[in-house]
Amino acid sequence: MTEPYYPTSPEPPVPPTPKGRRLTARHAIIVVFIAALLLVLFEGSSIRSAGEEMDPGLERDLVLAIGEPAGWLADRLPFDEWTDDALAVLEDEEAGGAGGFDAAGPAAGGRGVPPVPPTSFAPEQLGEQAAPAGQLNQLLVTGDSLAMPLDVELARRLADTDPDVEVERDPHVGTGISKTGLLDWGRLSTEQAAGDPDAVVVFIGANEGFELPRPGGGEVECCGAEWAAEFAYRVRRMMNTYRRGGRARVYWLTLPAPRDPDRQEIARAVNAAIEVGAQPYRSQVRVLDMEEIFTPGGDYRDAMEVDGRRQIVREPDGIHLNSRGAGLAADAVLEAVRQDFPD
Amino acid sequence: MVFPSFEFAFFFPVVLALSWALMPHPRVWKPFILASSYLFYAAASPRYALLLAGVTLANQAGAVLVDRSEDEKRRRLIMAATIAVDLGVLGLFKYYGFFAGEIGSFLDSLGLGMPLPLLTLALPIGLSFITFQAISYVVDVKRGVLRPASTLDFGLYLSFFPHVVAGPIVRAREFIPQLASPRNPRDVAVGAGVVLIALGLIKKVALADYLAREIVDPVFGVPEAYAAPDVALAAYAYAAQIYCDFSGYTDIAIGVALLLGFVFPQNFNNPYRALSFRDFWRRWHMTLSRFLRDFLYIPLGGNRHGKLETYRNLMITMVLGGLWHGAAWGFILWGTLHGVALVVEHALRDRGIPRPPAWLAWLIVFNVVVFGWILFRAESLELAATFIGQLFVPGPATLWSVVTVGAVLVVIGFQLLPPDPRDRLSVRLAGLPAPALGLALAIVVAIVGATVPSQGVPPFIYFQF
Repeated sequence: MTEPYYPTSPEPPVPPTPKGRRLTARHAIIVVFIAALLLVLFEGSSIRSAGEEMDPGLERDLVLAIGEPAGWLADRLPFDEWTDDALAVLEDEEAGGAGGFDAAGPAAGGRGVPPVPPTSFAPEQLGEQAAPAGQLNQLLVTGDSLAMPLDVELARRLADTDPDVEVERDPHVGTGISKTGLLDWGRLSTEQAAGDPDAVVVFIGANEGFELPRPGGGEVECCGAEWAAEFAYRVRRMMNTYRRGGRARVYWLTLPAPRDPDRQEIARAVNAAIEVGAQPYRSQVRVLDMEEIFTPGGDYRDAMEVDGRRQIVREPDGIHLNSRGAGLAADAVLEAVRQDFPD
Repeated sequence: MVFPSFEFAFFFPVVLALSWALMPHPRVWKPFILASSYLFYAAASPRYALLLAGVTLANQAGAVLVDRSEDEKRRRLIMAATIAVDLGVLGLFKYYGFFAGEIGSFLDSLGLGMPLPLLTLALPIGLSFITFQAISYVVDVKRGVLRPASTLDFGLYLSFFPHVVAGPIVRAREFIPQLASPRNPRDVAVGAGVVLIALGLIKKVALADYLAREIVDPVFGVPEAYAAPDVALAAYAYAAQIYCDFSGYTDIAIGVALLLGFVFPQNFNNPYRALSFRDFWRRWHMTLSRFLRDFLYIPLGGNRHGKLETYRNLMITMVLGGLWHGAAWGFILWGTLHGVALVVEHALRDRGIPRPPAWLAWLIVFNVVVFGWILFRAESLELAATFIGQLFVPGPATLWSVVTVGAVLVVIGFQLLPPDPRDRLSVRLAGLPAPALGLALAIVVAIVGATVPSQGVPPFIYFQF
């Protein structure tokens, strides 16, 4: 007979407290408040930025209730800069750089009737053959959390069929085109385009709906025509950056309708803005309609017919595609990519 | 709400101060800390707070009915019904999609074409931990080792915010006695709590997330794009990542509880130091191991009915332990691998085969554990197979750098150091005066915060379980 592998446990006592010096509850509060105070003084602007980036709601209000005065204080004290300088070596390089949306300001008013460039037309709209785009060596997949797991699905498919194509996956979870505090997509797209990708796949829009600067001052709320126009302007700038004067192709995915009706309103505005944003560059920017694939007519659904069987294609949050859905999106992207890069 | 967030940084100081201010008045303190815990939990989704309340009431009703009944058969029936409710809730949210899909595929392959309704149900955060704690309470009441607590105390036990979302799995009989009288405000392990919080933040944000971003996610996502050196590095990096991620969360949870005056059991004890699989499971997710031991392995018969039944019980325990992590074949295979390893270990011992030298035992155990993590992490069996296949494909080491390899070596190597000097260092740090502790915590938070990329801090791995 073997010895008991797991002894029958006697009633366990309350676990022992760790070794070391004991202090009082007052000390515990002092420690935590000193740490919090130092962070407010030295990281005030980060707290404000984080609050501004959050979705509307009680949590955002609470963070901003502290973040705004903390940011105000940080703006007037040198501590924030000291911290930034001291920790710059650890920080994400993407935070800096030129070409941000805020630097350029909103879509300026007073624009006359713009000329219509030939790039506004996709060749197939005119019954022409699309000119081959050259050799596909590098494909960038980017966006917010929507770009995951699309990035992986695309990389897997290309690893099987085109192993020489380098797939760069660069999704940025929690970011959005309509919010620039933590990540400015204007800047990021400039940096990404500097890597000379031949094709760029963009799937972004899970965190949109934030107020945008209005031409002439003030801010415009989502999701009317004015907001959509400002959003389309940002989208267009990014498309222009990614297409690199026609040397690259851009595949921009629209949003499948989300489950939440409030989010549906935002998704409608975003999708409309994507279509408008792409207009001048139709020959180099393809808008891939995910609503038609996943939510025809704008009606949300969790599951759809795939390979003759109903299968779940969305994540439980009602926003994202699961890996099966992302696989379908990847198929649509690759079909478009292969039209442009037949070799 | 997650620990490394601004929301928690504002929530916690307020709750801490009010908690100690109200502590001498349990009639006020208990509802306050219960409400705070529900606020913390509801931050993820208010609807789930209702589910938590429902689970609490159902289990409390079960425990009270068990306690009131004198008929053993009836007591067992009530306990079974309560556990069935718990497992039903868990099964619906956690396993429905998996089994509906698998059954649908099976029926489809037979040409019956009778797919079950397909639903996407979001798994309420921490549901597995909550369910296990609720079960432990009802079973302990049935076994007579615990009297039913008041509904308020039981509700507080299940929802207490430091452990509600990812453990450690605290037993009712460890926690509820701590509610019996106010915690002593002159005996608080402040230093130990702060050291644990700082250590947890470093493990999670600076190490685990870095390894995930730079090595693990790219390679596990598309293993066919990498050759053996990178794939091998990714396997070891994931071993380091999951340890830092989960033990980092646990460290923060235990540290936060200590500042509030409560003590949680240890959950990790240098698991990659293990010289046997049995040793590993006494060091890794220790509160889950003892739950499985006390509520599954021993009730199945443990080792009381001979060798073969012992092996069977080990296999059942480990396979179900794997399934607990999620509805996927990878988790089931991972549990099976550990079950087989434990059975082999027992069989060798039963046959009197001498143990290998310590260095060899460590090498075998560590590498089998790392191999198991491949099954655990890969999104599908197909990808796991591809990943393993790529281990034999020669090619360049594109992800090897001083920092990436150094991070893996530091995490694993640190556990191999003798524990005494490390413990002494922790005790010395914990002995710093309060202002120095506050300053140290702020510096750690600022440094760790600076390493957060634009993507933010990803969720803890164990939140999905």
